[in-house]
Amino acid sequence: MANIAKKVSWSGRGDDRGERTPLLNGAEEVKYNNRQISGGSIFHIGRLSTVDLEEEITPEEDIVRSRPKEIPHNEKLLSLKYESLDYDNSENQLFLEEERRMSHMGFGCLEIKRWVICGLIGFLTGLIACFIDIVVENLAGFKYFLVKQNIVKFTEVGGLSISLILWAVLNSAFVMVGAIIVAFIEPIAAGSGIPQIKCYLNGVKVPRVVRLKTLVVKVLGVIFSVAGGLAVGKEGPMIHSGAVVAAGVSQGRSTSLKKDFKMFEYFRRDTEKRDFVSAGAAAGVSAAFGAPVGGVLFSLEEGASFWNQMLTWRIFFASMISTFTLNFFLSIYHKKPGELSSPGLINFGRFDSDIVEYNLYEIPLFIIMGALGGLLGALFNVLNYWLTIFRIRYVHRPCLQVMESMLVAAVTATVSFAMIYFSNDCQPLGPDHNEEYPLQLFCSDGEYNSMATAFFNTPERSVRSLFHNPPGTYNPLTLGVFTLVYFFLAVWTYGLTVSAGVFIPSLLIGAAWGRLFGILLSFIASSQSIWADPGKYALIGAAAQLGGIVRMTLSLTVIMVEATGNVTYGFPIMLVLMTAKIVGDYFAEGLYDIHIKLQSVPFLHWEAPHTSHWLTAREVMSSPVTCFNQVDKVGTIVDVLSNTSTNHNGFPVVVHSTGSDEPGKLCGLILRSQLIVLLKHKVFVERASSRLTQRKLQLKDFRDAYPRFPPIQSIHVSQDERECMMDLTEFMNPTPYTVPQETSLPRVFKLFRALGLRHLVVIDSENMVVGLVSRKDLARYHLGKHGLEELHLAQT
Amino acid sequence: MGLLMKCTFLTSCLFVGWSVTIVKCSTYPPEVRGDGALNAPSPPLDSESPALQARSLGFFYSLSLSSTFPDDLEVNEYCIEMLHVFGQRYVAYANCLVSYARPIKICQNCYTGFNSLVEIYTNISSDQLGPGNVSCHDSLMRSDRLMLLYTLFIKLDEIWTIAGCKQCLNENQDTLSNDTIYFMASLNLSLTCFEKFQGNHSELCKDCKLSYKRLNELYGKMEENQTLCIDIEDAMNMTRRLWSKNFGCSVPREETVPVIAVSCFMLFLPIIFYLSSFLHSEQKKRKLIHPNRAKSSSSLMNIQDKFS
Repeated sequence: MANIAKKVSWSGRGDDRGERTPLLNGAEEVKYNNRQISGGSIFHIGRLSTVDLEEEITPEEDIVRSRPKEIPHNEKLLSLKYESLDYDNSENQLFLEEERRMSHMGFGCLEIKRWVICGLIGFLTGLIACFIDIVVENLAGFKYFLVKQNIVKFTEVGGLSISLILWAVLNSAFVMVGAIIVAFIEPIAAGSGIPQIKCYLNGVKVPRVVRLKTLVVKVLGVIFSVAGGLAVGKEGPMIHSGAVVAAGVSQGRSTSLKKDFKMFEYFRRDTEKRDFVSAGAAAGVSAAFGAPVGGVLFSLEEGASFWNQMLTWRIFFASMISTFTLNFFLSIYHKKPGELSSPGLINFGRFDSDIVEYNLYEIPLFIIMGALGGLLGALFNVLNYWLTIFRIRYVHRPCLQVMESMLVAAVTATVSFAMIYFSNDCQPLGPDHNEEYPLQLFCSDGEYNSMATAFFNTPERSVRSLFHNPPGTYNPLTLGVFTLVYFFLAVWTYGLTVSAGVFIPSLLIGAAWGRLFGILLSFIASSQSIWADPGKYALIGAAAQLGGIVRMTLSLTVIMVEATGNVTYGFPIMLVLMTAKIVGDYFAEGLYDIHIKLQSVPFLHWEAPHTSHWLTAREVMSSPVTCFNQVDKVGTIVDVLSNTSTNHNGFPVVVHSTGSDEPGKLCGLILRSQLIVLLKHKVFVERASSRLTQRKLQLKDFRDAYPRFPPIQSIHVSQDERECMMDLTEFMNPTPYTVPQETSLPRVFKLFRALGLRHLVVIDSENMVVGLVSRKDLARYHLGKHGLEELHLAQT
Repeated sequence: MGLLMKCTFLTSCLFVGWSVTIVKCSTYPPEVRGDGALNAPSPPLDSESPALQARSLGFFYSLSLSSTFPDDLEVNEYCIEMLHVFGQRYVAYANCLVSYARPIKICQNCYTGFNSLVEIYTNISSDQLGPGNVSCHDSLMRSDRLMLLYTLFIKLDEIWTIAGCKQCLNENQDTLSNDTIYFMASLNLSLTCFEKFQGNHSELCKDCKLSYKRLNELYGKMEENQTLCIDIEDAMNMTRRLWSKNFGCSVPREETVPVIAVSCFMLFLPIIFYLSSFLHSEQKKRKLIHPNRAKSSSSLMNIQDKFS
């Protein structure tokens, strides 16, 4: 962290504004800028100067100017590796032809196929959830059985430190496997996957996020990290898994396995795929929490910009199927086939009707708990933010990441063991054995260690026992210590290179302090029997903590209501989540947003930043734009495409009035992927005339290349061919969206967000191309503490 | 139905059933009959026939009421007999339960009582016709909304089930199972040992450990086989409490130092890890890229001008 603290401004003005670039400066700034601009060509360096350097000014400073500047990773960057999805349909002539050819029946068939795909998505997601659940249960059961036997053996004869080492080693071993597959095979599978899916639904193409390999690594990673006893849950990854399943099924093929089932070819484009991915995410939520409606609302909340009602109904269908599948297979596993009432992966248990009731005078208490949840959540996020920055900067080598994960696992085991060892909280064994692995240790015979129910268990079971164990099961000290320890463990764990979610740890922390809150309340007012049940407060605390960390609103309320199976708590849970969000937002952003920022993803929020109306498209856009002529030389096109410094994806197609230097009139927009397919099939004007027999290029050829278009380097163009011409008229999108130069940023933003655009051409009054607005141009503006700030583009 | 019923009721009460009731009264004790007749006390009866009140009131009640029904609704003699037996066995069993409530030994001592109660109850509730082609099931158990026999029996049966006494008896439920007897024997062994060393706890912990441990293991095995009943559970609970609390023979927390040492070592590892990666790992730098914004300089300046 020392490097963050040691900031010396390169411009020597000694300001402490960090790495931000002010857009709207004070008077001093203006002078400064004017001075720079008077220097003419050195303006760029002037812009640079507001970026602080790490080191003291050195004589090499001049050399720094000439080469690209390097700064340590921080959250105010936009990475070049992320691109937009092409959600906007290219209505070129091929498309129109295909539509003309398709009969009414054809469209009906498509609709049916969509339903079939959604059903399949639900089914497969449910199966995966079932698989994860069963394997985790068995692996963790095996581990706890082994450790418990060992502890029992050594309690009497001495040598408990050996049990401690055994536990730590087992944990580390499991986590090592999980971390190795993530770090070395598919790093994108790390974490909960919700930020990635959020980005995908937002319209950002996150590389490799919806591949089969990612799914396999994700599923195995989750199994090992949960079995390894980390403070993680298996729910977040389910959402990612559902999304991958959806992306795979809807394409009817797997590029990783090189297998094409020749099905669902019509859906091979971003527009359709994204619809299915949102269905998959919903199915994942639904399988994870047993909350079909919550799943639909999650998709709605995260991907709300592109939505239609028919899609909602289909997504709901997928969610329901997913819950049903999970229930069905779990019922078979639990040897009660046909009993479909067991809810999702996490089973919060049912709240009985007599403890469900709450009273008007409890509402203020709930609100206080919500505020507390918001505060703790903000603290969690801030701590995790610093940790993540440190990890990105210093712990970036895969072997280091694996080591770190193993260390965390070992320390988790150690801390848990120490807690259990030194706890004096003994409780009598209940008749119905709520405790899966009761540990006696130094308790009297017939009693068990109460701390062990919280630590010596999968987090999910601990949550359940906090919700449902009868009053008096935990003493306040145990809960307090547990909350404190688990809070820091969870902060430390999230962001490791293992695939694991943050839902369950949050719920667990919240449930622990919520229960503590309830117990303390009943101490204060011992007469009131309604305050006697701490399970209710555990639930509210869990909701508050989760809301404070992830800051989801509508979907989280519904998920909590559905997962606990009663609507009675709907109102308190909503209140609590609202309070938690308001209080938390005051201090820090939501955890997922923080991680999205730290990944330098060009994420478009719901609205443009306030106070940005004075910015116009003219300032926002990139300029000058690389354009192509309607009929252009192959050589030029290949050169532009293979230019590594400009990684453009969309090229306006123009007509030059009189071959002059000035930009031409806009007549269409063509994408890099389209050009590559054209080059691959050698659709040149000269060829067309010489080979009339050649099959005409169809939309199908573009779909076949999707989604992994070959890089330009792999396409061989001979010297002769370079001289050929290419006619883009047929393939370009003839009516791209355009805006005049004076359009304000919020207007541009709205167009982008609502239509899911990738490129927006900025034109002048003559319909001449002046610039191009892309996602990164918009995403770089954000509202910081000092007003509007601008993010930097960087290579990551 | 109210008025008509009352009229029939009164007339039959006064004239028809008189002599019959006398006979019955001498045959059966009044409290059994009371059960059957309680459901129809009628206040008008008292007010309209003051002369009859002169006799023993309760006695008359039962007499007159049971005698008022027409023949087909009459409770059969055989059934009344059954009812009587049921009452006796019920009382005997309840008595047994209460007398062995603390320390709880109901399974060992009351199973005969329970078995005979179940027997009579099964007899009553079966649809088999007794002498005179009558089924007591309908007349005794399902004639009124209280269904007293059923409720009484079900409560006691529930107690028996919750106590898990079935697990401690053999298959026919007529004697204690071998497991139970064996457990009781080893329990006694432990208890005699405890008694022997009364007053010297450290000695006790050492010398009785073997028998106590064996008892514990036996209990664990029975728990797995689900052959526990309340008697055994309670006996074990008491013994454990004696052992752990009264005699203080639990395992002491002895090896605090090694545990702390190992824990500290483990906690120390991440600190080393983070320090070393901070010092030795190369910090990841990002290359900044400057997008083309040809006019941004002038426009930015324009804005500055606008605002200044």
